Amino acid sequence: MSSLAYLATVNVVVWVGLFVYLWRLDRRISEQERNR
Amino acid sequence: MKYLKLLLLPWMAAVVAASFLWPEPAKGFLGESSRIVFFHVPCAWTAALAFLVAAGYSVGWLVARNPRFDEVAETAVRLGLLFAVLTLLTGSLFAKIMWGSYWNWDPRESSYLLLVFLYSAYLFLRAAVDDRERRARIGSAYAVFAAVLMPFLVFVAPRVTASLHPQTVINPQGKILMDAPTKTVFFAALAGFTGLFFWMLEIESRLARLTRERRQTG
Repeated sequence: MSSLAYLATVNVVVWVGLFVYLWRLDRRISEQERNR
Repeated sequence: MKYLKLLLLPWMAAVVAASFLWPEPAKGFLGESSRIVFFHVPCAWTAALAFLVAAGYSVGWLVARNPRFDEVAETAVRLGLLFAVLTLLTGSLFAKIMWGSYWNWDPRESSYLLLVFLYSAYLFLRAAVDDRERRARIGSAYAVFAAVLMPFLVFVAPRVTASLHPQTVINPQGKILMDAPTKTVFFAALAGFTGLFFWMLEIESRLARLTRERRQTG
C-alpha cells in the first residue's frame, strides 16, 4: 500500500469515528429532549 | 434533515479519500504539500462562516432578546474558533514543509492569529460577566463589532504587504487556478465542511438549551 493510500485510509477511519461520535451525541440529545 | 446528516458520512469519506488519491499535486509546491488545500481552506471558510452566523444571531438577540439566539451565537463563536485554530495548525504544517519553519510571522499568519485572539476575547468577556442579560448584551455587541473587523483581518490586512502565502482562491486574476479534479474535490470539501459545521452547531446549541432549561427548573 502506498503512503498516500495509507494516509487516506487512516483519515477516512478518523472521519468515520467522528461521525459515529456526533451521531450518537445527536441521538442522546434527542432522547433527552423527548424526556423533558 | 436526518438523511442530510447521514449523507455526510459517505460524502466526507469520499472527499477525504479523494483528496489523497485523485488530484495530482499542484505544480510549484514541495512533494504532496498542496493537498493541504482540501482541509486548510475549508477550515478557514467554515471559521469565517461561523463568525458571520454568530454576528447574525447576535443581531437577532439585540432585536428580539430571545436567549436562544444568544446561545446559538456563542456556540457559533466556539465552533468558529475551533475551525480557526485548525486553519492555523494546518497552515503551520504547510509552512514547515514549504518555508522550513512552522511560524514565519507572515502577514496572513499574523492577521489570522489576531482573528483568533479577537474571538477568544469574546469568550473571555462573556466568562467575566455573571448576569445573563448583561452577558448576552455585551456579547452580542462584541460579536457584531468583531464581524465587521473580520473581513479586514482575513482579506485586507494580508494583502497590504508581500506575503509568502500561495495565491488564494479569491485572487487578482479573478479565476480559480485549479485543474478539474482539484476543483471538484475542493468544492466538495467546502460543502462537506459547511454541512459538518451546521450539524455541530445544531448539536451544541440544543445541548446549551437543555442545560439552560435544566438550570431553570432546578
